[in-house]
Amino acid sequence: MTDRHSSLFAKGLMAGAAMALALACPAFAQDGPIKIGVLEDQSGDFAAATMVKVHAIQLAAKEINDAGGIDGRPVELVVYDTQSDNRRFQEFMRRVLQSDKVDAVFAGFSSASREAYRPIVNQFDGLAFYNNQYEGGVCDSNMIVTGAVPEQQFSTLIPWMMEEYGPNVYTIAADYNFGQISAEWVRQIVEENGGNMVGEEFIPLGVSQFGQTIQNIQAADADFVVTLIVGAAQASYYEQAAAANVGLPMASSVNVGQGYEHKRFNPPSLANMYVTTNYIEEIDTPASKAFVEKFHGMFPDETYINQEAANSYIAMYLYKQMVERAGSTDHDAIRAVIAEGDVCFEGPSGNTCLDPQSQHMSHTIYLAKVGDDHSITFPKVWEDIKPYWLGEAGCDLTKSDPSAQYTPSSPPPAQ
Amino acid sequence: MALFQSLFGMLYQFGDTFAFLVIACAGLAVIFGMMGVINLAHGEFIMCGAYVTASLARVGVPLPMAVLAGALAAGFVGVIVERLVIRHLYHRPLDSIIATWGISLIATQGVLIFLGSTMQGVGTPLGSVDIGGRFYSIYRFVLMGAAVGLLGGLYLLFYHTRFGVIARATIQKPQMAHALGVNTGRMYGLTFGLGAALAGLAGGLYAPTMTMVPTMGATFIVESFVTVVVGGADIFVGAAPAVAILAFIKTGLTAWYGQLFGQIGLLVTVILVIRVLPGGLSGWLKGTTR
Amino acid sequence: MTETSNGTGSSQPRLAFLRRLEGPQTMGRGPLFWGAAAVAVMIAVVYPLMADAWTVGNTAYFMIWTFMAMGLGLVWGYAGALSFGQTAFFGLAGYTYGVLTLNFGAAYGLTIVALLLSVALGALFAVVIGYFMFYGRIQGVFIGIVTLSVTLVMETFMSQTAGPQWRIGEARLNGFNGMSGISPLTVPWPGGDLVLFPGPILYYVLLGLLVLCYLGLRILLNSPFGNVLVAIRENPHRVGMLGYDVRLYQMLAFAIGGGFAALSGALYTAWGQYITPSSMGLTAAALPIVWVAVGGRRDITATLIGTLAVLYGFQALTIYGSQYALVVMGALLLFTVLVAPQGLVVAGMNLVARLFRRAQR
Repeated sequence: MTDRHSSLFAKGLMAGAAMALALACPAFAQDGPIKIGVLEDQSGDFAAATMVKVHAIQLAAKEINDAGGIDGRPVELVVYDTQSDNRRFQEFMRRVLQSDKVDAVFAGFSSASREAYRPIVNQFDGLAFYNNQYEGGVCDSNMIVTGAVPEQQFSTLIPWMMEEYGPNVYTIAADYNFGQISAEWVRQIVEENGGNMVGEEFIPLGVSQFGQTIQNIQAADADFVVTLIVGAAQASYYEQAAAANVGLPMASSVNVGQGYEHKRFNPPSLANMYVTTNYIEEIDTPASKAFVEKFHGMFPDETYINQEAANSYIAMYLYKQMVERAGSTDHDAIRAVIAEGDVCFEGPSGNTCLDPQSQHMSHTIYLAKVGDDHSITFPKVWEDIKPYWLGEAGCDLTKSDPSAQYTPSSPPPAQ
Repeated sequence: MALFQSLFGMLYQFGDTFAFLVIACAGLAVIFGMMGVINLAHGEFIMCGAYVTASLARVGVPLPMAVLAGALAAGFVGVIVERLVIRHLYHRPLDSIIATWGISLIATQGVLIFLGSTMQGVGTPLGSVDIGGRFYSIYRFVLMGAAVGLLGGLYLLFYHTRFGVIARATIQKPQMAHALGVNTGRMYGLTFGLGAALAGLAGGLYAPTMTMVPTMGATFIVESFVTVVVGGADIFVGAAPAVAILAFIKTGLTAWYGQLFGQIGLLVTVILVIRVLPGGLSGWLKGTTR
Repeated sequence: MTETSNGTGSSQPRLAFLRRLEGPQTMGRGPLFWGAAAVAVMIAVVYPLMADAWTVGNTAYFMIWTFMAMGLGLVWGYAGALSFGQTAFFGLAGYTYGVLTLNFGAAYGLTIVALLLSVALGALFAVVIGYFMFYGRIQGVFIGIVTLSVTLVMETFMSQTAGPQWRIGEARLNGFNGMSGISPLTVPWPGGDLVLFPGPILYYVLLGLLVLCYLGLRILLNSPFGNVLVAIRENPHRVGMLGYDVRLYQMLAFAIGGGFAALSGALYTAWGQYITPSSMGLTAAALPIVWVAVGGRRDITATLIGTLAVLYGFQALTIYGSQYALVVMGALLLFTVLVAPQGLVVAGMNLVARLFRRAQR
């Protein structure tokens, strides 16, 4: 079993102490290794942004094992490649929960894949960590979300941009849940701050030609453009907008921090882009520098350490803390620990805490500015931004578990 | 002024879509029109051209040379693929769909494994120009020129050169051509190679405007198929008007109803055209002139 | 299946019906074949007692896809029309099942009704598309292109239904992320409803359904209807000359194929409690073709065995082969097309038959 899984990922974990220990004592359930399933897209469309998540988890597992494991038990990873395919998430989520009998699962990049596996996690009462920024709203006690959500990224970003550049906002967003809901947040925050939406456009996924969109933006007299576009095809927008000399400042919650566009594109196509993110490798704190150094020590060829990598890393340590405080991997015991409301971790991105109502995280939000040469500066940092919306809207996992996803336009039913 | 602005804007969008459709579909059209093979690896030949172009441009090769090299590289790969695989499948067009899909899987994933999940692109050259108060990318005008040049060049190649005559003869009456001493195997190989090279050219031309990922060819695929089908079997008669009509439909729908309807409009057009004109535009045009 | 009941001039209608289980259009006949088939079913029945829960659930999951594959086998292998868009019917049925169960709940066996309605709607949609194509005299690769366009239109459309305005009753279509919270199949049962989560019960239900569909298809294919289909595949003009309405037969075959795809779609949605537009995308649409082609399209048994083998093989590759899985898949396709064009299972069956004959001689 162990040999097979180690062959899944090349060099990194081979020598890991986890494997040696796992081989030594496979039979003891309670004293044996703590198994963690890792379902991430290592091939297909999303591979560019998700390979690094697997590496971050491996790094954290190695560190934890070197320091004596979780509560004295070593961590064993069970890694599958989900190929950016929702069906593989369904198949392998069942496999890790039913056959590999893991204690927790770290899974998923796209929201579609999360929604694909969530019913299965619920069915087997598993515990899944979704270590991604996303459109928000999942109220499910089987899920712990460590990524940032729109209210954290936009309540900081949009007012700052409006103050800096003016009240007229043009939004282009990917035409699916993330884009639609994020655009809804932008609209709401712009209106609350007395601004004006001069345009809003939704782009189908997979569109790579933006001639008409660019023209609409040029005609609309916007002060800045909010770009909520996703995927490799849509990222072609920046190159094309730069070539057409659109020249407007851009604001985003999804670029740079996830797909490191500023590294992949030639300057200055992303110049004057502002992104709110809870981590990127350029962050200049001692904790972040140490994290980057450790990462490159284990994976010297890593292209970019993005926010999802940091979130995955943080998630491992959160899980360690919860299990150690609960004294077991039992989910009810873990939930009791979460309900105490002080599960926090001081990690590469600063201090983060788990909100017991929604099981989402508070974050330090960094405003990253992309310069003309695609270097990153941080004009502003907001500390301890809470994922306030879901709890305020009426999701309280300490009391009930609806296992649903809510949006601002379809909030939880009134109690 | 506002009128000029919006009129020129429309025209520019039309030209932009026109160029994209012509350049994207040329390779597929040659292979399908001349050989009856549906090449599902079309997108991967595009990716091959784009990757070679970007790699060369980044080490300092001038962009036009790099694009040409990208096309040649894709063409070379195409000749090899024809030799090893496609050659055995001429009597089984449906099987060639499966085979080319297999090739496409191997190519996409192989590139991902060996070259990584992304590659740094080359910036769009030439900057922009101010026309009537709006900025337009000059490179887009180059692409429009390239599209027109491509159509003209293909027409000349197939109708006014010895290669073209022999190629058409081979496709229409292979036994007869063979009896007359034509090396038909070589002609098939060259035609497929030409189609692959054209796909590579598309990749090279669009490389400076796009994100470089192993799956980048996929964004060309649907549009290419739509164009080829609407054009019908004879690419020279059908392709140009098909592209013009589709570009018109897509630009109009996109401008008035947004990108979604532009996408759906294309697909619905295909279904309708196949229903009303099973031979595509070329079949219909030929029918009316006869 | 009215074709089977009006057996041609048989003195014993009931037996005639069963005799069509074997015939010229299906491989395998005689006691040896049926003995082997019975053993296979026996093994399938007994095996959940020995295997672990995941393996059983996983096999059930594989069986879900075989219906779509057999439907495509009928349309492509027997009727000669390569449909690239079976996923359109799959997706339509999946969404229909989702919308129905989200609106009406799972009590009183309503999920079974939802399943049947979804399949009916899928088949009906196939009739419409089939009418449009076959009565429009569309042929050859163009059938593939039209059907592919249909499934891509549906995918593109469903992907943008993320906004709150896209809802049918209680059910939000939910765009690219897919519709979730759908009820699994629920059978009313004395002493509490029986919920068919992936597990032994679902496995047995699917196994029964599979055997039923397989035998039904064998009877259908060896009936006059099946013979005419094969004749159309070989030479549509001659069949037309003989007085058959070629278009009607093709349309009916397409509708049955669509119904099978719809059955897979509704079952898949019930299994995962989830359906997404990407299940109608290009990759999803190509997969059934791969299963059928690798197994062998001209024989329903080969299609069935091949589909299960390919599904199992590809999943195993993904588990053990990591990033190389997709490369190996591509290579397998090339190998099949070049070396065993009639399909690996058919090639294998032929080999066995030849060896057997030689041994007898």
